[in-house]
Amino acid sequence: MTAIEIPPARRPGPRAWAELILAEGKMVVRDTAGLLIPLGMPLLILVMNGLGSAGATTADGVSVFERYVMPVVFTIVIATVGVVNMPSFLAYYRRSHVLRRLAVTPANPGMILAAQLVVSLIQSAVGVAIGMAAAMLFFDVGVPERAGTALAVFALAALTMYAIGMLVAAIAPTGNAAVAIGLALFFALGATGGMFGPTENLPEPLARIGEALPFGAAVQAVGRAWAGADQNPAHLLALAAAAVLSTAVAVKCFRWE
Amino acid sequence: MHAIEVRGLHKRYGDKVAVDDLSLSVELGEIYGILGRNGAGKTTTVEAVAGLRRPDRGEVRVLGLDPRRDRARLRQVLGVQLQESALHSALTVRELMRLHRSFYRDGADPGELIDRMGLTEQRGTRFENLSGGQQQRLNIALALLGKPKAVILDELTTGLDPEARRQMWATVEGMRDQGVTVVLVSHHMEEVERLCDRVALIDAGRLAAVDTPAGLVTRAGLEQVVRFRTATPFDAAILDGVEEARSVRTAGDRVVVTGSGNLLHAVSTALVRSDVAALDTSFERATLEDAFLALTGSPFDGSSDHGSER
Repeated sequence: MTAIEIPPARRPGPRAWAELILAEGKMVVRDTAGLLIPLGMPLLILVMNGLGSAGATTADGVSVFERYVMPVVFTIVIATVGVVNMPSFLAYYRRSHVLRRLAVTPANPGMILAAQLVVSLIQSAVGVAIGMAAAMLFFDVGVPERAGTALAVFALAALTMYAIGMLVAAIAPTGNAAVAIGLALFFALGATGGMFGPTENLPEPLARIGEALPFGAAVQAVGRAWAGADQNPAHLLALAAAAVLSTAVAVKCFRWE
Repeated sequence: MHAIEVRGLHKRYGDKVAVDDLSLSVELGEIYGILGRNGAGKTTTVEAVAGLRRPDRGEVRVLGLDPRRDRARLRQVLGVQLQESALHSALTVRELMRLHRSFYRDGADPGELIDRMGLTEQRGTRFENLSGGQQQRLNIALALLGKPKAVILDELTTGLDPEARRQMWATVEGMRDQGVTVVLVSHHMEEVERLCDRVALIDAGRLAAVDTPAGLVTRAGLEQVVRFRTATPFDAAILDGVEEARSVRTAGDRVVVTGSGNLLHAVSTALVRSDVAALDTSFERATLEDAFLALTGSPFDGSSDHGSER
């Protein structure tokens, strides 16, 4: 009887990560409908608002476009990518046993989650870049007054949206269910958070609630940074709390198969 | 060292016992079949071997490694083809092979494997657009990508047409020639009979028998039948000394001998010794399927539906 020599364990290296991220990227790009919404819808809202309210200012002289429209546009990008798209892929991977298939290779199914996250980040960055370019080119929008702060709070907002997405992926039984849950959440958060017009137009209690929810909080925080105003800690706290809570529930509920 | 060693494996789902104190050992380099009806616990057993399920009790060693504790090491040398598994739907055959190849330190050449599995024309086809048989072949190609030392194939040829099935059998025989240990879960008796060195019969989560396919048939003790005609009237006394023969019936020039063991050989020898020329000799013996049914009880009594296939 011959003994078999088994090499020591080796985790998949940088090449495997690169290939997996590339694979997830192709999955996202080839899913045309899923790609169009986060890139096209914000652009549409940007243009519609640009044609309507270009040049308008708030009572204290801040451009409405910079204070509200741009933050809403960017928040739509991260919310559609994070809350709708990403979980639909993950739920589909679980449902169709892609995760299980990966579990019998040296790759860990957790790697697919990470790779989706990376691709989602790239997708968000592309959406933001397109929106920013269009705004600068056609509507004379400048960079945020407090660019660093804007970037930081936006990153926090993106993190929160991805955390909510993980929660959706954890509770949705199928890819279709994930899209349904994700879209419902997206519209609920968006409607109360200023996606269909300034929250001032909403009934007072609803506007308060909307601002405490991730979409509204993100719009407010990014808008303040853009206009050069100080941050309201309540918005940041609301984002962080949603991120922590969603992650905790997602980790508790997530099933690999 | 055994390639695979399972001792006292026990697994239940809720109040259903899927695998009940099962032990088996697979030698290095053999093709080991696992045969059993739906719900017998075959898939649960191989899933425990593959490290996908944690046994409630019992021990599993694959190439000397614990499939769960030494997961990372084992994955480099164990190829697994699962019964139900999809891949990234929008990726092409070539892209999927490339992706999975990157997981392994050492491995086969993806292009060569694609050719060997007859997927050359589908290289640029997305997984979602492949036929069932093509998806199956791709799954098997992926299981072989890491040049594994042991392979688990669950329902290898399900969904393949007869030609593709034969090609797949040749591939598995090629693996044995290269010293790869193969565990083959199957429903397909012809496949098991042709490929497997040994077969484990699993019934209701327990090991019913382990033997070579021919050994299982013999073990089932089912009757064999030899029929022939003779040119001259036949004297049944010629077969008196043949231990293997249980009954001899003659009707005109036709003779029917039933018995067991190496019946055909024993009867032929006796005939030759007595200088009797047999014409139109035919031989019927129990198939593996007959043996399977005999060794695991009646198929239609409904009492066999223990456990659940998971």
